[in-house]
Amino acid sequence: MIEIVNLHKKFGTLEVLCGIDLKVNKGEVMVIIGPSGSGKSTLLRCVNLLEKPTSGQIFFAGEDITARKVNKNLVRQRLGMVFQSFNLFPHMTALGNVVIAPVQVLKMKKDEAEKKGIELLKKVGLTDKINVYPSQLSGGQKQRVAIARALAMNPEVMLFDEVTSALDPELVKEVLDVMKDLAKSGMTMLVVTHEMGFAREVGSHLIFMDEGLILEEGRAVDIFDNPRHVRTKAFLNAVL
Amino acid sequence: MQGLIDLVEKYFSISVIKEVLPYLLKGALFTVVFSAASEIIGIVIGLATSVVRVTRIKVLNQLAIVYVDLFRGTPLLMQIIFVYYALPYIGINLPATVAGIAALSINSGAYVTEIFRAGIESIDRGQMEAARSLGMSYIKAMRYIIIPQTIKRVLPPLTNEFVALIKDSSLLSVIAISELLRTAKEMMTWKLNPSSLTAAAILYLVITLPLTRYVSYMEEKLKRSGV
Ligand SMILES: Nc1ncnc2c1ncn2[C@@H]1O[C@H](COP(=O)(O)OP(=O)(O)OP(=O)(O)O)[C@@H](O)[C@H]1O
Ligand SMILES: [Mg+2]
Repeated sequence: MIEIVNLHKKFGTLEVLCGIDLKVNKGEVMVIIGPSGSGKSTLLRCVNLLEKPTSGQIFFAGEDITARKVNKNLVRQRLGMVFQSFNLFPHMTALGNVVIAPVQVLKMKKDEAEKKGIELLKKVGLTDKINVYPSQLSGGQKQRVAIARALAMNPEVMLFDEVTSALDPELVKEVLDVMKDLAKSGMTMLVVTHEMGFAREVGSHLIFMDEGLILEEGRAVDIFDNPRHVRTKAFLNAVL
Repeated sequence: MQGLIDLVEKYFSISVIKEVLPYLLKGALFTVVFSAASEIIGIVIGLATSVVRVTRIKVLNQLAIVYVDLFRGTPLLMQIIFVYYALPYIGINLPATVAGIAALSINSGAYVTEIFRAGIESIDRGQMEAARSLGMSYIKAMRYIIIPQTIKRVLPPLTNEFVALIKDSSLLSVIAISELLRTAKEMMTWKLNPSSLTAAAILYLVITLPLTRYVSYMEEKLKRSGV
């Protein structure tokens, strides 16, 4: 589904990604862990074309999306992204947030989009918040709206960048539960997270990143039970 | 004491004001129409130019900077005179009303550009990223996500700018447009009494006070909502 080949990204002289190779197959949940500043967010943002790679390629469903002639908007329609800071549109209700892209980008009919939007909000457990503005939602509710908003575009892959890091601890579970359901439904996911319990339980695959490199890669449970790299061991010891 | 009586007679003569008031009201109507038309055109110009500024479209951006600097950095009176008296030499003959509105609009557009630019730049970067990540084009993201949020924030400064424009429209008197101040001056010469100026000042206040009050109210509201 996604194949990253020798991806480099520099900000000025700072090299943040130093040659990333990664393959994510359809239906896999690829968890990305690693210390702060190791380039996890940058990697996700490159996949979503929010950052322009310095060199290397990213293939999405067989197409090199780093090629110049690629229509970024079309690529992004097929990749859902959820941010740490929610980034809900404050001037629209929960439902408004969910339908805006299907209506304006996919040219879906408004009532059809709303019907689907209500269904999605129901799915993330927000039936009673459909007409509520983001300012009146808790962090966990906001993030669930953000997930519904991304799903409304029927993406083939979902990218999650530390989506629970800004939440109060008691609100983390409701968001992780939604992600768990999504994983069960067969969605292909790339998940940057510090939630090790979630990573172990839901992740099918896992990579450990440090200083712009993938130091360890494998099945999630294997890495948790038997980390090989000293840095992975140290990191897991510190966070578990 | 005599000085005070003279002052009242010269500047606050009720009988004179009664007589000139119908003319002044007509002048005030002109002032409002000219200012409102110029403000609306100025907003269109300013919105377009501010988008050029934030997107940093190469050549256009440079042009936009020159435009803003030029019209904010020179007296409006000069701009009005140039549009009305100088342009005919290159074959552009505008009637006074059109020249007046053109000069005011272009001048106001320069200020509105900076108001909108500040407004757009005050919106969190994540909003644009979220919009783009949903597959929206830059234009759509601007139109449906960024600009609507900007409107609320720019309304107070925009209204302030409108108030300034209403007062500045009095400069149109130099190209013989019968707006409020010019009418008041004509009444003054006719009646040999400047009370019409006092009346005109009050009319300016009647027009601008609701606007300035509205700005205070909006600013207070925005502060409380923490936007
Ligand atoms: N736009 C940018 N300009 C310059 N430097 C940047 C930019 N974005 C990220 N960086 C730098 O790149 C490095 C990697 O950042 P990144 O956000 O990818 O790390 P991360 O692994 O997601 O960290 P965290 O766990 O803290 O979110 C950091 O040193 C960061 O300061
Ligand atoms: Mg990050």
